[in-house]
Amino acid sequence: MTTAAIARDTFEVFGTTAVLLVTAAQALGPARALADRELAAVDLACSRFRPDSELTALNEAAGDRRTVSPLFADLIAAALRAAALTDGDVDPTCGQALVGLGYDRDFAQVKAINPGPAGLPARFGPVPGWRSVELDQATLRAALSNGARLDLGATAKAWAADRCAALLADQLGCGVLVSLGGDIAVAGPPPADGWRVRVTDDHAAGPDAPGQTVAIAGGGLATSSTTVRTWAAGEHQVHHIIDPATGQSARSCWRTVSVAAGTCVDANTASTAAIIRGEAALGWLAGSGLPARLVRPDGTVETTAGWPRDEPPAAVS
Amino acid sequence: MFSSDLRSAAARRDAGIRKISRLTWRAGMAGVICSAVIAVAFGHHAQGQAAPPGQSGTIVVPHQPPAPAQGGGQVTSGAS
Repeated sequence: MTTAAIARDTFEVFGTTAVLLVTAAQALGPARALADRELAAVDLACSRFRPDSELTALNEAAGDRRTVSPLFADLIAAALRAAALTDGDVDPTCGQALVGLGYDRDFAQVKAINPGPAGLPARFGPVPGWRSVELDQATLRAALSNGARLDLGATAKAWAADRCAALLADQLGCGVLVSLGGDIAVAGPPPADGWRVRVTDDHAAGPDAPGQTVAIAGGGLATSSTTVRTWAAGEHQVHHIIDPATGQSARSCWRTVSVAAGTCVDANTASTAAIIRGEAALGWLAGSGLPARLVRPDGTVETTAGWPRDEPPAAVS
Repeated sequence: MFSSDLRSAAARRDAGIRKISRLTWRAGMAGVICSAVIAVAFGHHAQGQAAPPGQSGTIVVPHQPPAPAQGGGQVTSGAS
């Protein structure tokens, strides 16, 4: 642990806000340079909106087997692991379903455009499923079958946060927190009282937004919500968390779910699955020993596995 | 002589029954062993199909759960 002052940098990446905290001020510049390099590589590998990304090439390969980079193979492997650990509830083959809901370009543009019912592409049923993804990490070959199209949005940011935090802590020898759109990974020696994280609906909210402040010393913390990445699709308001069983935005009894885990990608896997699983998520998270905070649409909060209780509201004098 | 033939026939019958019993038992054991071998072979194959190599496991729990903290956060976790 360290009591040194924490240095901070904030920047835009992956269409969202990144925050970089380090426990050694002199490490901030090198940390940012390393993070920029790593995140640029991840974006080039798996952006769904870049015509030059490896993901776009694989999606357009019409089932043909393609050679992929080690980085892209790792990203696909992380997505397949998430699918396996959640019995397919967190599925990387939601690409076509998202396009069907109008999420076919950078989110800022999606938010600004309501294509109207006539402008929407045809809706699709259940997604092809993660077993339609073939990956051989030894030979770096991958293929998609059954018309599957990848979207790694559920795991790529969190995986990148883990990778950046570990790399920066290792190379710079200080405590590091990396937040990519609210997916948080920490590595190295933490501050004396841990990293203070405000848990709320929207990662862009301020440090005092409605929610709860907790401290973490290692691993990752991620939040999934149906209230933030939403857009109008015809007459309906939809969001980005797809239920693979229907190919539609998940209809959940939870507004927001936050989970702490050994890594950020595992935390995000669990928080996303919890939104899709609904009420059953409480027992699943508790049984898995995963500390979580689940918020119902009316604001009622449930917690599991040692997640601290919300502080009582301040007394009105 | 007649009773001696009877005893000999009974003894051969008993020996035959014991031999058939042993054969039946051995055939049964062979069946169990074959079933076990097939189960292991196909079970291993099925496991390999269920999750890509190196992809099995469980979601990793944190070393310690989040601790309560006061005031605002240094960073915010929310959806993006």
